[in-house]
Amino acid sequence: MKTLLTIAWRNIWRNPARSGVLLAAIVAGLWAGVVTVGIINGLMQQRIDYMIESEITHAQIHHPEFLAEGYSWLYIPDHDEIISRLENDSRVLSFTSRTITDGMLQSPVKTSGVRIRGIDADKERETTTFHENLIEGEYLDSGMSSAILIGQEMAREHSMEIGNRVVLTFEDVNNELISASFNIVGIFRSASTDYDRTNVFIRSEEFIKLLSHKPVYHEIGMMLVHEDLAGEKVADLNDHFAGIKAQTWRQLSPELSMLVELGGVMVIIITMIIMAALAFGILNTMLMALFERMREIGMLISIGMSKLRVFTTIMFESVILTLTGAAAGFLLAWITIGYLSGSGLNLEMFAEGAAQLGWDHIIYPVLTPGEYVIIIIVVVLITLISSLYPAIKGIRINPLEAAKSS
Amino acid sequence: MAILQTKNLSKVYNPDTVPVHALRDVSITIDKGEFTSIVGPSGSGKTTLLNMLGGLDKPTSGSVWVNGEEITSMKESKLIDFRLHNIGFVFQHYNLIPVFTAHENVSFIMLLQNRSKKEIRERADDLLEQVGLGDRKNARPVQMSGGQQQRVAVARALASEPKFILADEPTANLDSTSAMNLLDIMNKMNREQNVTFVFSTHDQRVIDRARRVITMVDGAIHKDEYRDVEETAEN
Ligand SMILES: Nc1ncnc2c1ncn2[C@@H]1O[C@H](COP(=O)(O)OP(=O)(O)OP(=O)(O)O)[C@@H](O)[C@H]1O
Ligand SMILES: [Mg+2]
Repeated sequence: MKTLLTIAWRNIWRNPARSGVLLAAIVAGLWAGVVTVGIINGLMQQRIDYMIESEITHAQIHHPEFLAEGYSWLYIPDHDEIISRLENDSRVLSFTSRTITDGMLQSPVKTSGVRIRGIDADKERETTTFHENLIEGEYLDSGMSSAILIGQEMAREHSMEIGNRVVLTFEDVNNELISASFNIVGIFRSASTDYDRTNVFIRSEEFIKLLSHKPVYHEIGMMLVHEDLAGEKVADLNDHFAGIKAQTWRQLSPELSMLVELGGVMVIIITMIIMAALAFGILNTMLMALFERMREIGMLISIGMSKLRVFTTIMFESVILTLTGAAAGFLLAWITIGYLSGSGLNLEMFAEGAAQLGWDHIIYPVLTPGEYVIIIIVVVLITLISSLYPAIKGIRINPLEAAKSS
Repeated sequence: MAILQTKNLSKVYNPDTVPVHALRDVSITIDKGEFTSIVGPSGSGKTTLLNMLGGLDKPTSGSVWVNGEEITSMKESKLIDFRLHNIGFVFQHYNLIPVFTAHENVSFIMLLQNRSKKEIRERADDLLEQVGLGDRKNARPVQMSGGQQQRVAVARALASEPKFILADEPTANLDSTSAMNLLDIMNKMNREQNVTFVFSTHDQRVIDRARRVITMVDGAIHKDEYRDVEETAEN
């Protein structure tokens, strides 16, 4: 066994240039692949975290038809019972109730459809990071009455600025058309231009007075101790309260859960490309090496080296070569990701349009231990499988090759 | 005692297209301790015969017997193992593992036989000494001359303690001094250790050293003569 390893090891260095090229290719390929996977993961995770933390939260409760219809009379029944249940649940970190209705926003320039979000400024601040999106002006806790926050994109389309007045028109819970004017106190920019064009924020207590004679809420958003608890919390709420619909962030945002899947698919595609290159590299190098050594292997079989030993030697050679490269590439990738996950990778120069699409330009690559393990297993498997062919070719060599005279 | 025997051995290459009768009905017997040369013009079937004797190729008809065992019908894997323990080979070239030193090359075949480390080391030392390469143990094939490489090959062939050693034109690539030197070594081993050699050659000076000369013509045995070669034994 040790002798076979020795032959394999020395054979690798018989053609240092060829082995070196393959080694370098494997190191570079694996490094680039693993880092890319880390970047994609980081990108996806940051987007998801941002969406959850700034707006969606881990789980939300609505009237079952509210999200599709947006009418003010589709408010959450049993709101106070639900709230007290959330208050007494240790899995719930924080929550906030919102009063929401679809309506029209009118400025001197034009009229456009909006979703009017009435929020409790303090509870919203405890639950989400929406307040961090404010790029100009003040948040809703300044005390000024009839205050409204609009998105940067809407401000642009309506040519509005802080201090301007807008009129909101919407139906109250009794189907009556209501109009009220608001003063722009702040402008926000979220990760999505589309969101910034179609959402405005006002104080919920002011909104409720316009909508109904009693408090109505259309949405409760909650952050949990851990994202993984969303499923069970939602099931628990749906079991306890009829006439509401609790949903996890994945259910609420098909966009986000598609993103998660898309990330997974991209990771698989990248992995497959790298693995195909790896397999091709091994096959090419090993078949070349084998072709050069036909006679030598014929001689070894002639003098009595068993096929199993020939097979093992060739396998050793390709496996040592590949796994050395893979290990080095992996280590490099691990160091790179470790470094970048602290400092972040600044893609500002490529990311001019990214903010418009709702992406960060500083990316913190991540790769979970599980993903490392999977990639290692796949690399080892591919190495073994693609080493198999040259090894089988090797044992098929005719011993007469050694006896040929020229 | 016959250690090697062929019975009506025939080999036809390309039987379906352009048949080449490389061997025709060859029956020979080789006894322990022989020093036999197979000669004949190019294309007469020397290599083909040696390949059959070594179990490297299958005859079209007839059989080869080694030490009373028929090898022609052996399964390939069994035959490889049989070769390892019974037959020594010296080829014209490509004898050695290029990444191994002389000592490692000689040791290798004994490692394949799963012998003890100590025995392997001592025997490899001893054999390299015997072929006059005691000081080149750690040289790799590329660092040695053709003659030295062939001597390592002889040492390697002997290391496995085979019943006999087959050598197809072992001196063809050597200058005459190296060729004679190799022959001396083979001859000495034959006389002192009763090692059986069967080798093919074109070289008259090599033929002169053989005690038995089998001449082949057109795939058949043309002449089979035993000679007295006492005059060369002084080496
Ligand atoms: N693989 C093969 N396929 C077809 N014909 C072959 C093959 N090997 C040998 N022959 C033919 O068989 C005959 C005997 O060849 P062989 O190599 O045994 O002769 P040889 O006596 O060793 O010749 P040389 O002195 O040139 O080495 C020749 O006519 C040769 O052309
Ligand atoms: Mg020949």
